[in-house]
Amino acid sequence: MSMEAETTLSWFSASEWIKNQFSNVIKVSNSAPKHVGFVMDGNRRYAKKMDIEVKEGHEAGYMSMSKVLELCYQAGVDTATVFAFSIENFKRSSLEVDNLMQLARERIRQLADKGELAEKYGIRVKVIGDLTLLPKDIYKEVKRTTDLTKNNTRATLNICFPYTGREEIFHSVKELISEDVPIDSINEICLEKHLYTGDSPPLDLLVRTSGVSRLSDFMLWQASNKGVVIELIDRLWPEFGPLNMAWILLKFAFRKSFSVKHELEDEVEDNDELMETLPEDKKNL
Amino acid sequence: MSSEKIAENARLLGGEDVDVSNNRVPPPEASVLKGPSRLKALQAVAHSVAFDEDQNIKTPKNNAFWNQEMGRIQYFICKILLVGMYLVFGSFRYLQYEYNAMKLRVWNVIYNPSNTPQLIRQDVTKLDKIPHRLAAILEMKSAGSVGGGAKGLMNDGSEVVCWTVSAGIKHLILYDFDGILKKNVLEFREEIRAKLSKYFGPSNVPKFALRIPHKNKVYFSNDDSDKVSLEISLLSNRDGRQTIVDLTKTMAELTKSKELKAEDITMRLMDKELTQLVGPEPDLLLYFGPSLDLQGFPPWHLRLTEFHWEQDNNQVAYSIFIRGLHKYSNCKINVGK
Repeated sequence: MSMEAETTLSWFSASEWIKNQFSNVIKVSNSAPKHVGFVMDGNRRYAKKMDIEVKEGHEAGYMSMSKVLELCYQAGVDTATVFAFSIENFKRSSLEVDNLMQLARERIRQLADKGELAEKYGIRVKVIGDLTLLPKDIYKEVKRTTDLTKNNTRATLNICFPYTGREEIFHSVKELISEDVPIDSINEICLEKHLYTGDSPPLDLLVRTSGVSRLSDFMLWQASNKGVVIELIDRLWPEFGPLNMAWILLKFAFRKSFSVKHELEDEVEDNDELMETLPEDKKNL
Repeated sequence: MSSEKIAENARLLGGEDVDVSNNRVPPPEASVLKGPSRLKALQAVAHSVAFDEDQNIKTPKNNAFWNQEMGRIQYFICKILLVGMYLVFGSFRYLQYEYNAMKLRVWNVIYNPSNTPQLIRQDVTKLDKIPHRLAAILEMKSAGSVGGGAKGLMNDGSEVVCWTVSAGIKHLILYDFDGILKKNVLEFREEIRAKLSKYFGPSNVPKFALRIPHKNKVYFSNDDSDKVSLEISLLSNRDGRQTIVDLTKTMAELTKSKELKAEDITMRLMDKELTQLVGPEPDLLLYFGPSLDLQGFPPWHLRLTEFHWEQDNNQVAYSIFIRGLHKYSNCKINVGK
């Protein structure tokens, strides 16, 4: 019995060691994404597939989230934004909404506990979205956690709860108008600053699970930007583990390390082309 | 009439003059793995090992967890591991790229419309549902390559137009980052007309309308403007974030002059205005590049849009179009549920 426990323990620490080494390697490459977004899709389908209750499906989803986030933060990701609850999700059956709220209350409270994710990695937890839609008791819990972690500076976790991308843009527009700034100074940058994710670095990578190729109203403004990598994975969220994330991080780093070099070369080529074509153009004129 | 149009075209050309070379899309990552640039890839790896060291060694101090500091030896080991991982991943990617290229070649043989609308019709009638509005992101390839430059872009665009008409879809959005199609709209119209007559025969060219929402202008294929079989909207980066900024400015002005109350600014109003300024949201978005990049497509209009692209594909091919329609007909959208 004890030997069995020992082997599982050593196995556990071995995989832990590999994980640490891997994240160090990614960190050293200096090409880790700064800001990663997650659409955690497929908890209910997972529950159905495994023949367990919907609530347990959401629990499994939370476990997989904390494992994936752990790897991300170790590898040097600065901000992670997770889509926990859409404003549209209020349309679900009231029993499920209640269960989800219950789960969220426990987990949001737990995040700030001793030895948990936030303390271990120095994460500032922010809950973003239309918070006025939250029940009062949950709002209190949210406030407590965000207050407890607000002095952590190493990394940020944005929990979108309840959130939609359009509401975020709308909220930013409305806030900007109500602030009564001079009209000429309204531009893309200040609109972006007023988004919920305004003080985070720009989104580099968006991960969506369960094989659906839509944004489903998540980070529309940020993800439509040129150069954002969108990864769609054909797995349900609870089945999505650190190994899958490691692969994505490696892919991202590989791509980033090479495309930068490539762009530089390209610029040089462009200049050559320009030098060649310029006299001809002048002749034509 | 026609001189007005030319003047308008010139104005468009002169108007928002975007420096194309600055905004040029960097070539796809896959091209790193082709031909002589493999040597460059090796150089890049060597470079990242040898030269970034001084700059790198400071970073772990700032963002290391558990106050752990990486020693010089450990740092060096990590660098070697990184190179090893890159080499393994690189060779994997090379094989994957070759595999995908072969797959795409096979598809291009299987799905071959050979300029016949009837064949496309046949492919489409099997589907349960087709998108009401289709969008496509097109990229201009560098002027030197085959099918590159503005000419190549217009050729690609008109090709997509023909497939869309043949499939019986009534609305099409063509997006290109720099707005080159917009700038050359008259030339593009001729190009589409020529392509359509190749598909449908010169006496049978379907009528279409080209819309530029940003300028609020419509160009019809014939002089009579009734009953078009396809409406094409030409969008560019300008119609994305910048249009939302413009709308914000307008609304801010109106609130200042007390013509609009703050509580009247709602999501519904914004949606209505943006639909008017840009157009409605597309149901399916096709991307003809190697890995999905939305390139500043209007963000408001991406809420539930289904995306389709093929990894490592780099051409505007019918197989992508028809496979996208297949995928759309099988997908199920349930908002929030």
